[in-house]
Amino acid sequence: MPEGICIFAENYNGNLDNSVPELVTAAHVIKAATGEKIEAIVSSDQCRELSDQLVKLGVEEIYAVKTDHDPAFQDDSLSRVYAEMIRRIEPSAVLIPATPAGRSIFSRTAAILGCGMTADCTELLVAKRDDGSFYIKQNKPSFGDNVFVTIEMKPGVYPQMMTIRPGVFAPYENSGSSDAKVTYFDDIVMPASGVMVIETVPAAAATGSILGADTVVVGGRGAAAEGNMELLKQFADKIGAAVGCTRPIADTGVIPFEHQIGQTGATIHPRICISLGVSGAIQHTEGIKDTKLFVAVNTDENAPIYNVADYGINADMKEVLEAYMKL
Amino acid sequence: MNIAVLIKQVPVSDNVSVNPETHALIRSSSEGMINPADRNAIEAAIVLKEQTEGKTVVFTMGPPNAEKALREAMAIGCDESCLITDRCFGGGDTIATAKVIAKGIEKYGKFDLIIGGAMSSDGATGQVGAMAAEYLGIPHISEISSLTFDSSESGSITAEKRYQGMQVKIKASLPALVTVNFGCNEPRMATLRSTRAAKTKPLVTYTNAELCMAKEDAGLSGSPTVVTDSFEPEHARKAEMLSGSPDEMAAKLKELIDSEKGKE
Repeated sequence: MPEGICIFAENYNGNLDNSVPELVTAAHVIKAATGEKIEAIVSSDQCRELSDQLVKLGVEEIYAVKTDHDPAFQDDSLSRVYAEMIRRIEPSAVLIPATPAGRSIFSRTAAILGCGMTADCTELLVAKRDDGSFYIKQNKPSFGDNVFVTIEMKPGVYPQMMTIRPGVFAPYENSGSSDAKVTYFDDIVMPASGVMVIETVPAAAATGSILGADTVVVGGRGAAAEGNMELLKQFADKIGAAVGCTRPIADTGVIPFEHQIGQTGATIHPRICISLGVSGAIQHTEGIKDTKLFVAVNTDENAPIYNVADYGINADMKEVLEAYMKL
Repeated sequence: MNIAVLIKQVPVSDNVSVNPETHALIRSSSEGMINPADRNAIEAAIVLKEQTEGKTVVFTMGPPNAEKALREAMAIGCDESCLITDRCFGGGDTIATAKVIAKGIEKYGKFDLIIGGAMSSDGATGQVGAMAAEYLGIPHISEISSLTFDSSESGSITAEKRYQGMQVKIKASLPALVTVNFGCNEPRMATLRSTRAAKTKPLVTYTNAELCMAKEDAGLSGSPTVVTDSFEPEHARKAEMLSGSPDEMAAKLKELIDSEKGKE
């Protein structure tokens, strides 16, 4: 019987990704019901540094495959390494961050193992089958977060592989023991890749203005109406805010897609957030749930955004902003 | 260079509700459109084709009415198209879908490059491209922001992608698959004339009579995962609602912002 909750220790340049401590928290949600061990898999040319970081996080068992070079982006080969590690460890579940690297590597790993993979889970619930085996109900938002679906693996399908949306689970703070056993699979050798990195330079700071911004104005679908974007930008200038948008607006191309917030976009941590015409929901609010002041303006009095905002203004953003600009 | 483009027809609006009995999604509109990121995939393919000659073939899997999306892609500039449609392919998860798409591409012919959008606007899993690459046994680069081909290095393609604040240039040996981010280029539009011309461009239909997938490999039965429930998010209002005329609400909003800013 497969056993153990395995997390993918996403890493870059010898550092764990910020999503990894969140995966540990998600793994503890499962462990609380099943009592399974929390394991991590890592493959890198800097396994020792990464293992040290994993040990501090309270992971109980660490499995590592050392590569002779930095394997970043060689996902055709990395996926094989991880598939082989999972075959040997036989975990019941594998948790992966819903990040570009997580999706890219483990989509292939899931195809190799034939186990399938759910995407972008925001809630995990453990349930028990009639035969006493545990399984995980994986809840995820769908269709722009207007609907949630529960996805499960068919009985007998292992491992239960899923990607977890970043920013949903709090990073794990380990106060217990940290004496994980590190096992190196020296006989797993990364195969040759058809992918090669030829250059890495710091990216132009196109997203810097929104990432570090203290005050943010976010436009949603309601901001797409004629003239509203212009007004939104003027308003943002007036209060000294950076402009972001949710996916429907990013999809129209009015605001550069680097400024999309939530889900596949940037995670921001502003102190003040004013949302305009954003109806919901998590894909947008994950990044801003720690704001000190969050005001939502929307024409729909039942908009889910009011479930997370501090203040709601049930009105046409155009009228409110025009009035604001006169102040 | 022969290029396959993978597109998906998605609902125009994500304003959907749920049938409580079947967990099926009730879409407010039956209208479909080409997934936004897939328009960027079409554009990237046409640009490369113009540079290198060869042809672009656009693929989609879906119900018969997905032909509309294929005709539009050909109106935009793709040369040929392939509709993969069969009841037994329906309801598949990403694994089952990727298997069928890979089979369809293999049956159609040899391609140097396969391009898809990085993510759909409905399911947004971002998985099918990489999974199809695995089934085709070729390398892939996902979620890229640009794509270039240098004829002096005809065995590879170079992509750029952003990761952890870095701009990374990555080379993949051909044949390869890439998925492009939404907004990475300016997709050209169809014209009246090109729309007319697209009506006579080739469209091949593959059902399972052509692809011969084992029943346990496709659709619902080929899916390791299953949707068991669906629900709408709970509405538990937290916000304090402001009232009054727009002028009064704007004044209150200013007060809130100024007060919070004053705490710096």
